Amino acid sequence: MNEFLDPTTWALALLLFSTLVLVVLTILYRRRGTGPDVREIAAFQDLRDQLGRAAERGKPLHIALGNGTLGGSDTVSSLAGLQVLEGLIDAAVAYDVAPIITVGDPTLLPLAQDVMRRAYERNQIPESYDSSQVRFLGPSALAYAAGAVPVGAPEDVTANVAVGTFGSEVSLVADISDQHGRPKAAAVDAAEAIGALYPTTDRLAVGEELYAAGAQVTDEKKYTTSLIAEDILRFILVLAIVGTAVVALVGG
Amino acid sequence: MRRIIRKWIPIFIATTSGLLALAGYLFPDTGLSVYRDRLVEWAVIIGAFALILGVFNVLRVHGQRILESGKGQVYSVVLLVAALVSFVPPLVYGPTDSLTRGMVDYVITPLGGALAALVVFTLTLSAVRMLRHRRGPSSLLFIVVVILTLLGTTPLRGFEWLSEIRSWLVGVPGMAGVRGLLLGVALGTVITGIRVLLGSERPHSEF
Repeated sequence: MNEFLDPTTWALALLLFSTLVLVVLTILYRRRGTGPDVREIAAFQDLRDQLGRAAERGKPLHIALGNGTLGGSDTVSSLAGLQVLEGLIDAAVAYDVAPIITVGDPTLLPLAQDVMRRAYERNQIPESYDSSQVRFLGPSALAYAAGAVPVGAPEDVTANVAVGTFGSEVSLVADISDQHGRPKAAAVDAAEAIGALYPTTDRLAVGEELYAAGAQVTDEKKYTTSLIAEDILRFILVLAIVGTAVVALVGG
Repeated sequence: MRRIIRKWIPIFIATTSGLLALAGYLFPDTGLSVYRDRLVEWAVIIGAFALILGVFNVLRVHGQRILESGKGQVYSVVLLVAALVSFVPPLVYGPTDSLTRGMVDYVITPLGGALAALVVFTLTLSAVRMLRHRRGPSSLLFIVVVILTLLGTTPLRGFEWLSEIRSWLVGVPGMAGVRGLLLGVALGTVITGIRVLLGSERPHSEF
């Protein structure tokens, strides 16, 4: 019984099963030749429209990637933020309104700069790349938020987009948009940030919706496939939880 | 050759390191944990270099603004002077000296506290704005729960039942919501991690 409940066994089983689901889905959709349809998430849907507005006004978007690190427990949130950046950057560079990207952890800085540099190379204007479009603001959550407020000022940017790891201090960034009635969108996974952002915007992706960023802003099948895999795993997990509760209830 | 160097070598290094570190965590009793610890040490060292990169980025962004006489250049001057001055005490007297500690205790900590207090006002303001712009059952529920939770935290005499309501709100629906979030986040993390290990997600590679 103890062996059955061993955390290592559970972790391995989850990893192997998740890999299996992901690989099977990838093969299935590759054979079909078409990607799966995914549900739309409001936070990501109008990002491209906002990019269009940014091009009309000549003012960029401010993409705040938060305090997430690479190498910590919030690595995946940071990667999700970078997916949003990857999904928007080519069009932004083509429109000549490259976004201002702010990071609160220096490990994210070279990666975000690299995403931007590659976009300029793809658009065959590498000489226009300016690494200072990606800005490191401060290593603590509050210092980052304080630094992000002037960057996201409405006279300088079209909209503020917060994607990644944030705490309740994200309300400082949201407030600057609110004061001038400017649009904003956010995708966060921490409960504190969700609570802080809920009153400020209905363009809010919460929890695991953050990991749907890639599927929402790009057309790449790998993201939509993994989103379906996540849904399948979640469904199984919910069934397991409900099943266990019923068994415990019946068993007394 | 360029493709091998810029695509396959980073993928190989990332996948091997990831699998090795993961195996080290899953099977700590084997010799793999030694390699895992070494890899984590390397990651910490690289992270420290990234901080230096971050400092140079701050200097570059604000230096550029000063040179171009851009908007807010006065603030940039203050920031750069403060940043450069703050390097002096730790370099001259060491990180544990009273002057260095004083800089943290009397400047950085109070500033952080002031900002944290400001967050309270922005949160309140955003709740008021929500009532003005997004009236509806969910907004109302949100406000009622916030008020009850806040009141339940205050030690009001004769209103001890508010504390019980707060405990129930935090312990039952609040906890259920957070657990749901955490489960979803965990699944997202697992799937993204697998994508990185399989080389499907490669932020470190050129192609």
